[in-house]
Amino acid sequence: MRKALILGLSITLLLTTFGAGAFGAEKLELGALYPISGGLALLGEESWRGAEIARLVRNEAGGVAGKEIVFAQGDASTPSAARSEAERLVEQKKVAAILGTYSSSRCMAASEVTARKGIVYFELGAIANSITTRGYKTMWRTNPTAADFSKAQVGFITDWYAPKLGKKPAEMRVSIAHEDSDYGTSVADSFSNLAKAAGIQVVSVEPYAANTNDLSSVIFRLRKADPDIVVAVSYANDAILLARQAYELKLKAPLMGTGGGHSIQSFADALGKEADGVLNVDFTQYEVNEQFTPGLKEFLALYKKTFNEDPRSGHSLANFMGANVVFDIIEKTGGSLDPEKIREAAMAVDIAPGNTPTGWGVKFEENGQNVMATPLVTQWRDGKLVTVWPESASVMAPIIRE
Amino acid sequence: MTKNKLYIIGAFVFLVLLIIPLFYESTFVLHMYTLIFFYTALTAAWNIPAFGGQLSLGHASFFGIGAYTAAILYVNYGVSPWIGIVAAAAAAMVGGLVLSLPLIRLRGPFFTLASIAFAEVLRMIAIDWRSLTNGSVGINIPFKPSLMNLTFQSGMPFYYISLALAVGVVYLTYRIRSSALGFHLRAAASDDEAAKALGVNTTLTHFIALMWSSGITGVLGLFYVFYIYVLEPQTFFSLDLFSLQPALNGIIGGMGTVWGPVIGAILMTPLGEFLRFYLGTIQQGLNFVVYGLVLVLTVRFIPGGIVSLLTPMIKRKKAKKTANLPKETEVA
Amino acid sequence: MDLYVQVLVSGLLLGGVYALISIGLNLIFGVVRIINFAHGEMVMLSMYLTFWLNHLYGLDPYLSVIIVLPVMFVFGVMFQRLVVQPILTTSATMKIFTTVGISLLLQNLALIFWKGDFRTVRTSYSMSSLEVLDIIISVPRLVAFGTALLSIIILYAFLKYTYVGKALRAIVEDHSVARLMGVGVEKHYWFAFGLGTMFTALGGVLLVPFSSVYPTVGVPFTLLAFVVVVLGGLGSMSGTFLAGLFIGCVESFGGTFVSPGLKEAIYFAIFILVLLVRPQGLFGKGKGTEEVGLK
Repeated sequence: MRKALILGLSITLLLTTFGAGAFGAEKLELGALYPISGGLALLGEESWRGAEIARLVRNEAGGVAGKEIVFAQGDASTPSAARSEAERLVEQKKVAAILGTYSSSRCMAASEVTARKGIVYFELGAIANSITTRGYKTMWRTNPTAADFSKAQVGFITDWYAPKLGKKPAEMRVSIAHEDSDYGTSVADSFSNLAKAAGIQVVSVEPYAANTNDLSSVIFRLRKADPDIVVAVSYANDAILLARQAYELKLKAPLMGTGGGHSIQSFADALGKEADGVLNVDFTQYEVNEQFTPGLKEFLALYKKTFNEDPRSGHSLANFMGANVVFDIIEKTGGSLDPEKIREAAMAVDIAPGNTPTGWGVKFEENGQNVMATPLVTQWRDGKLVTVWPESASVMAPIIRE
Repeated sequence: MTKNKLYIIGAFVFLVLLIIPLFYESTFVLHMYTLIFFYTALTAAWNIPAFGGQLSLGHASFFGIGAYTAAILYVNYGVSPWIGIVAAAAAAMVGGLVLSLPLIRLRGPFFTLASIAFAEVLRMIAIDWRSLTNGSVGINIPFKPSLMNLTFQSGMPFYYISLALAVGVVYLTYRIRSSALGFHLRAAASDDEAAKALGVNTTLTHFIALMWSSGITGVLGLFYVFYIYVLEPQTFFSLDLFSLQPALNGIIGGMGTVWGPVIGAILMTPLGEFLRFYLGTIQQGLNFVVYGLVLVLTVRFIPGGIVSLLTPMIKRKKAKKTANLPKETEVA
Repeated sequence: MDLYVQVLVSGLLLGGVYALISIGLNLIFGVVRIINFAHGEMVMLSMYLTFWLNHLYGLDPYLSVIIVLPVMFVFGVMFQRLVVQPILTTSATMKIFTTVGISLLLQNLALIFWKGDFRTVRTSYSMSSLEVLDIIISVPRLVAFGTALLSIIILYAFLKYTYVGKALRAIVEDHSVARLMGVGVEKHYWFAFGLGTMFTALGGVLLVPFSSVYPTVGVPFTLLAFVVVVLGGLGSMSGTFLAGLFIGCVESFGGTFVSPGLKEAIYFAIFILVLLVRPQGLFGKGKGTEEVGLK
């Protein structure tokens, strides 16, 4: 009897004591929430590296408002894990702000928690439009949204590609192939709406599951639709597969990726010279006009020094830039993470494009979205992802492969 | 250990659980408990067909159906989730009905495979049928705190709701197990043919068990979606989270017993979370390696689950004191 | 019209690899009567092995079979001895969970050792294709199909004409009768496991020239292989082959003419229907299947 009582009690206590935690005074603790295990581990970790470099650099220069920045790391391996981790970071680690997240679904789940607790959430990499349209006063985002990606794609098609083909925008036929998780679906929707608004014909939309080993049926459907260009929204595996099978099955229209899998070095490695000419819209990549991206070279050197390899995608750069904006804001509040003070400081930020390592400007809207961040059009050329449009950021002119 | 003493312990633990939120401001601790209670209820519901030896790895289907039914009714038609409970249970039971069709001919592993395929088909349909489910983008529960909306400012109400669910579902499985249905199920589990020879309609028995189980799981889906606010197919029809996890808890705690799911959920839920905190951040995937090992070793060395370790202890004590008690009632 | 033929060809080519991976499962499942949820991870391991042999030593994926197949045979035998043997007497449920645990373990060990990167082998023939009467045939997929066909014929002959093969067939048909006939049933377990794993691994090797390798690459293959085996009928090699081609075509036609996002849903639905209507499979004989839950 007594034993059982003690057992019951100690189990309850054991569970409860895990909740305790205390921290020193002269540290500024921020939650760093990224998917570092599970299916999104690769780019989740790549994103974290950017923020980590920004943290190390800032600490070396004396920290923020005299305090040393410390990251309490969380693993947002799934949306529900993101939610628990956000709870844990806030409650147990007592962080007063979280930054992250790379994945939109993880950010959505985690920021629902912080919004309800009145904790500030800085998104540095996830692009779903809905993140900053929910009306949460504590949500800030430094990177461009899915709608910005679509704008860049539509802009490229109407301003460069249509004239190149000698067509009017209304004569342009576009197909969309997208992986069917929330990432692919929301980005594809966003593009479809903007393209239609610009008068472009969207002739087919093909959703598919990303973990497939055959996309021939998607290619057959695309061939039937006969578009001028195919806009693809893909993760890593399916981006490679789609491009390979498009080549094999002789799809005529060129491919234009939307970040994600089309930006990773392994895409070019897998396709070799057949990657040449594949277009992409994404965060700022490393082959870009240096006048437009001051600080990029230094970032590359720091990256190499810290992680002993070259960046695997532009995600780290975007998170580096975003983390720096966040640190500057906190510097202005004197180290406070009070949502009101953050709002005051954030709304005062005004940086014109071409002055950050990503080339993005910074100007926040009421809803917390940075409206001066724009993705760039890039193209694979000789195994490198080269910025080709708009001209102010480009290092080469785009080509269309026959 | 007499029955009375067990009741006293039970009542004591329950009281402690009732007052915990008053002492802990940290919603993280509450969240942890809430998750444990959810999984206790979920595992107990999963366990009902397991009384009859049927292992489902498709319970995510009922969970998802319940969640979608309630969320769609609430978001599109303004139906309060409290009324949605009936709809969620009914819809999930229709799902259970469909899955039970193969039961007419299938037993054991093939039922298990069919149940996985069933949940996967539903997941893909939920992704594809965008006009109904909003596809992978999912449905957000708008934040309008009120009891009618089952939305709250703090985590405390959900702590009590999930505690009530856990206690309620476990009590229900206890009643089912000691009812005629329970006896039929156990008879079918130990020897299907013999049970039939004794006049038990085993197909009907399995079917009724699956109906209970699916209905309850659907209701749990409803509460879970109002707890995490975001509903999308990858999570709510997730094989890992809501099909494998309850089954895992059940196996480790002790499948087909009343207390097995409780023990399984209490041990495995925090283990999963803590492994992710402490190992997941050190090395990607290490937490799952530990998880996999625990599973393999448990099945290898304590195939009856943890309950089977505790049972002899209780039995021995009991045998000393009340030697005449009939065997059936002692190890619930 | 062209489109239909093209879709059919794609489906058949895809189905060949499915058949090969499923043949391995059929052997293991038929002889040892275990639902191996780690089956897809065997595909994954053989793919990684092929990748590393190519990456480190420049070995052509097709040539790497001389190393991959024996290694995976041994792996299968070890798997049987160390993991499956100790749980043989437990219930089907326990077996399922042991293999689920192994599957988790292997996937995440792969993640720890080889990272989450998508690895791809590039060969001169990776993206080459033939064009016959306007129908495009991918060369590596054609090779995969041909090899699958050939190895299934070899396996068929082995099962038909050798003593061990005959014993295996007897075991697949009915454990107790085989035992009565004096076949040492348990003695053949390790061999069947090794052989089954080897054929599965061959499927993995043939995938490498046109498919990326990553820790969770095997996951879809587990359920897929079960669908094929059940459709084809337990113990029927020719049935598995036909069912593999059938599933390939279902995927290809469903993906092209219904929706690419629903292609798996379509064949899972067919799977459930077949279980309901004809659980012995479309081509199976249906003998001795009661003990694994079919009747």
